[in-house]
Amino acid sequence: MGLRDILSGRNKLKSPAEDRLFALSTARVTLDMELGLKSAGAGGIVFKPLSAGEFVRAENDLQQVLDAVAAESGSRLERKSDEYGYEWIVVRDAELEDQITTVHAVAQGLEEAGFGERLLAAAFKFEPKFGDAKTVYWVYGYKQGAFWPFVPTGDKERDNAEELELKAKLDNELPIEPDLSRWFGLFDAPL
Amino acid sequence: MKRKSYGRDAGLTWRMFTTSFLLGLLYVVFGVVLIQYLNFGLVPVLVIVIGLAFFQYYTSDKLALRAAGAKVVERDEAPELHDLVERLCAMADLPKPKVAIVDTDVPNAFATGRSPKHAAVAVTTGLWRRLDKEEIESVLAHELSHVANRDVLVMTVASFFAMLAALLTRFGLYAGMFGGFGGGNRNNNSNNTPVWLIVLAVSIITYVISFILIRTISRYREYAADRGSALITGAPENLMSALQKISSQITMIPDRDLREVAGMNAFFIIPTSVKQKTAELFMDHPPLEKRLAALEKIAREMGRPVA
Repeated sequence: MGLRDILSGRNKLKSPAEDRLFALSTARVTLDMELGLKSAGAGGIVFKPLSAGEFVRAENDLQQVLDAVAAESGSRLERKSDEYGYEWIVVRDAELEDQITTVHAVAQGLEEAGFGERLLAAAFKFEPKFGDAKTVYWVYGYKQGAFWPFVPTGDKERDNAEELELKAKLDNELPIEPDLSRWFGLFDAPL
Repeated sequence: MKRKSYGRDAGLTWRMFTTSFLLGLLYVVFGVVLIQYLNFGLVPVLVIVIGLAFFQYYTSDKLALRAAGAKVVERDEAPELHDLVERLCAMADLPKPKVAIVDTDVPNAFATGRSPKHAAVAVTTGLWRRLDKEEIESVLAHELSHVANRDVLVMTVASFFAMLAALLTRFGLYAGMFGGFGGGNRNNNSNNTPVWLIVLAVSIITYVISFILIRTISRYREYAADRGSALITGAPENLMSALQKISSQITMIPDRDLREVAGMNAFFIIPTSVKQKTAELFMDHPPLEKRLAALEKIAREMGRPVA
């Protein structure tokens, strides 16, 4: 953001930072060995669909993106919408690496189709290997180009202590959003 | 206008800092321009400064509430909060102030108003949700102590003298340049730098220094209000645990959903590191450790248990 943007009143949305998404696949070993977390087999990308005017064209483009990605990857793709009016592309795949690759491919396809600025976040679901510990989500903010942990414990509640512990354990391996006030949750994510 | 900020809301601190700094800078530039170009004397300048200071002083409650986006609530909207405030006021022998709520996750509270009769206390929804009743009570007692200590008046006077100091320095220079101190115009011809530029530079430097001094005064007032809270509630340990909760990292993690606030993402433009550094340089609250140490001492004096 330059001086000119400030003076002219910025009206463009930030374009997405996609590249750092792959850091999660390198963090997989630590997640598995040290934290006992394994992928729950689902990841997803959440974005805001366009307004009704452009909806038909957008709908066609979106379907094309999904078909192209589905043809190339072995992952299963699902489309879902949530009560906030956001669209989800859910990627189901047992392997975390494949989830990430497919999510990245979807993100790229969406960006090429002109949805880039409307990408909000990607989320990956993890489950504890043993016992009945909590489900953990790693959220990747496309605007920030960074991850943050999200451990929901109820309707609108989350386990902040657990989240800070996850940050401490993975700070060296993942680009983690340093400003905690931006760690917004994704409650009831359809993953 | 005096805001009390508890949580380390870097964004808010930055805004408050910028606002108050620019406000003061405005006074100085304003005064310089008036005197320099309109050839006003000292008296009209003083009148204007006093006028602005009085305006600030008399509208402080409304200004601060509006700036924070606080909504004044009546008894039926927040009966518990009103009960707490009433009990504390009875304890502290204060008239009951207006009670307001700010709808934000950041745990925070502030008091404002020129006198106990025209005061208002505000708490955020985040504070109400994250702290238990004894802790909220101790925070409210801290804010009511600010009211009782007349901190708005103190800070208005402090900033008034800072403004005046800046203007007087400027004026001394002005007089020196034009022989006001007797034969002082020797150098006038050999010096090509415009007089107004020198004058402006000196005014601004003076202003910056007094700004830091005002922040220091503000930190002392915080210790005083902490002590007041301990006296009113009789339990400094509650304020200690409240302060620890408020300033711990955990409270910075929002409760809201990303999709509710997605519109805000576009405005996350100031890098976190820059915000933090600036905030630390011009803190108007003492660091947590020092406040806790001071409260611990009070607790020992009062013979209270300290964790």
